[in-house]
Amino acid sequence: MKSLILVKNLTKIYGQPPNETRALDGVSFEIKKGEFVAIIGPSGSGKSTLMHILGCLDHPTSGQYFLESQNVANLDENQLASIRNENIGFVFQFFNLLPRTSALKNVQLPMVYSNTPRAKRQERAIELLEAVGLKDKLKSTPAQLSGGQQQRVAIARALVNNPLIIFADEPTGNLDTKSSYEIMDILKKLNKGGNTIIMITHEPDIAKLSKRVITIRDGKIISDKKNRK
Amino acid sequence: MDIFETFRLAQEAIYANKLRSALTALGIIIGVAAIILLISIGSGLQSYVSAQFAKLGSNSIFIIPGKVQFGPQGGPPRSVNKLSFDIVNKLEREKSSDIQTIMPFIEISATASYRNSSKITTLAATKTDYFAMSDIRAQSGRVFSSADDRAARKVAVIGQTLAKDLYKSQDPIGQKISISKKPFLVIGVLEPQGNVGGIDVDNQVLVPLSAGRVLTGANQVNSILVKTTSTESIPQAKAQIEKILLRSLGEDDFTIMSQEQLLSSVTSILSFITIALGGIAAISLIVGGVGISNIMLVSVTERTKEIGLRKAVGARPKDILTQFLIEAIILSLTGGVIGLSLGYIGSVALSALIKTTIPLWSVFLALGFSSAVGIVFGVAPAFRASRLDPIVALRYE
Ligand SMILES: Nc1ncnc2c1ncn2[C@@H]1O[C@H](COP(=O)(O)OP(=O)(O)OP(=O)(O)O)[C@@H](O)[C@H]1O
Ligand SMILES: [Mg+2]
Repeated sequence: MKSLILVKNLTKIYGQPPNETRALDGVSFEIKKGEFVAIIGPSGSGKSTLMHILGCLDHPTSGQYFLESQNVANLDENQLASIRNENIGFVFQFFNLLPRTSALKNVQLPMVYSNTPRAKRQERAIELLEAVGLKDKLKSTPAQLSGGQQQRVAIARALVNNPLIIFADEPTGNLDTKSSYEIMDILKKLNKGGNTIIMITHEPDIAKLSKRVITIRDGKIISDKKNRK
Repeated sequence: MDIFETFRLAQEAIYANKLRSALTALGIIIGVAAIILLISIGSGLQSYVSAQFAKLGSNSIFIIPGKVQFGPQGGPPRSVNKLSFDIVNKLEREKSSDIQTIMPFIEISATASYRNSSKITTLAATKTDYFAMSDIRAQSGRVFSSADDRAARKVAVIGQTLAKDLYKSQDPIGQKISISKKPFLVIGVLEPQGNVGGIDVDNQVLVPLSAGRVLTGANQVNSILVKTTSTESIPQAKAQIEKILLRSLGEDDFTIMSQEQLLSSVTSILSFITIALGGIAAISLIVGGVGISNIMLVSVTERTKEIGLRKAVGARPKDILTQFLIEAIILSLTGGVIGLSLGYIGSVALSALIKTTIPLWSVFLALGFSSAVGIVFGVAPAFRASRLDPIVALRYE
């Protein structure tokens, strides 16, 4: 099978020597279509940094990143924006929904930037909110939703443009156990349906629910294992 | 993202922050309302004054004391008034066939009183022809006649304000009025004429020239209006008048102007005033623009997370730039339209007191200026928003 993500020797350095931080230090791996990968590691180990680079939000200091065999370094800002729009869906730790904006509108956001017609947008957003079990919360604003519900809105938003990959940065980090497992159920179901998911977490229990666990520490991969079923 | 979507987005953002949006637009609202109001006052004055002069006809020549120069080095005449009745008589005797009428004016400030009430008013003394020429009629009673003038009868025609203030509900016709302590008989009340640039034209009393001369006891006239037989004969008449006047007066003792010259001088002064008023108001619009810029910058900082999120889901820098720019333009343009309506309402309300007109150009000026303000002052915040690094924005707390 062709690789979806291929990174070689990724390095990200913040700041100037002697006060530099090596957030990523020579990271290489490959992720194929349909995988469900958990990236785990202690705080400050470079998980978010890695996800931002993989999500085309940030550039590595050195090393290469191929997304669907295309070298991301050769793309300009507008091309990166359209990759994020069409091929990538993000779910963040702090939900990151637009405040004072209905769930329906929040879910439609990526489609606004892909020039999807209004009627189509509405239809698709309702379909996805139903899929994550928020059929009766279409008009609710984030302030009127629980953390778990907000995260489900974020997942619906990430799915709206049928992305190649879903990136989730600690999607359960701010949720109680029950909501966490509900979110994981949704992600697992999506993966079964063929979606590629890359999830960051520092909870081993949550990581166990994925198919593959990459552990990083101090910007380096220290283990990369398949979960036994 | 298409432009309609951007508009909808900007609208939603403005609507989501109603109070802040209203406060932001307030500067523009006030600025535009002020521009419209001040220009409407200025051009109301201009059109009234022009109409007054135009009424006198294009075959008019004005003679006023002193050397008056309109334009940059202009100013009020400084010399003593040397226009006298002797000059008027000389003109009467020597006038050519081009000249139809010679009408001197005495105009002074005087106290008019009736019983216990008194009021400072403008006294004007002139010939009977004045009423017909400037289209002023008596509402009740009559205006004075040539016979009144010849006999130097002490009769007076008074304006509405004076009639109300001195006689209250009583009919002034046939009553006594004392002007500068001399008794006159009221024979007519003029039709209301309103207020011009803050001056109440209805607060005046008109008397026959001869009686006015006796009353002031002076030999001076304040101005002389000469009517020629036709507009074409203006240049010859002007030359002739100048020749006659120069025999007894110095070059600097008088100014002769045709209606056309006077009209254009007055119009140019008044339009300068109008533009100056508009300019002062425009400064407040710039202050309003700075307000927009300021609040937009705050809003960009406040919405750092939103901008980061939009970029993360695929917004290009251009999309963010237009979003914020259009937001600024909508704010300032809406402010402009509200200001325009307020200015309009204000000028309609004011027109009860003074004449106002809103020229079309001032509407376009105000709207054009306010959207320009939106663009100019919206660019910096919008550009800043478009350059925000999505990572920094997403990590921002
Ligand atoms: N903009 C930045 N400037 C300087 N240092 C940074 C910046 N962003 C991240 N870092 C540093 O890079 C390292 C990795 O950060 P990163 O956010 O990737 O960690 P993480 O694994 O996601 O941690 P957490 O589990 O707490 O979210 C940290 O030491 C952090 O301080
Ligand atoms: Mg992190």
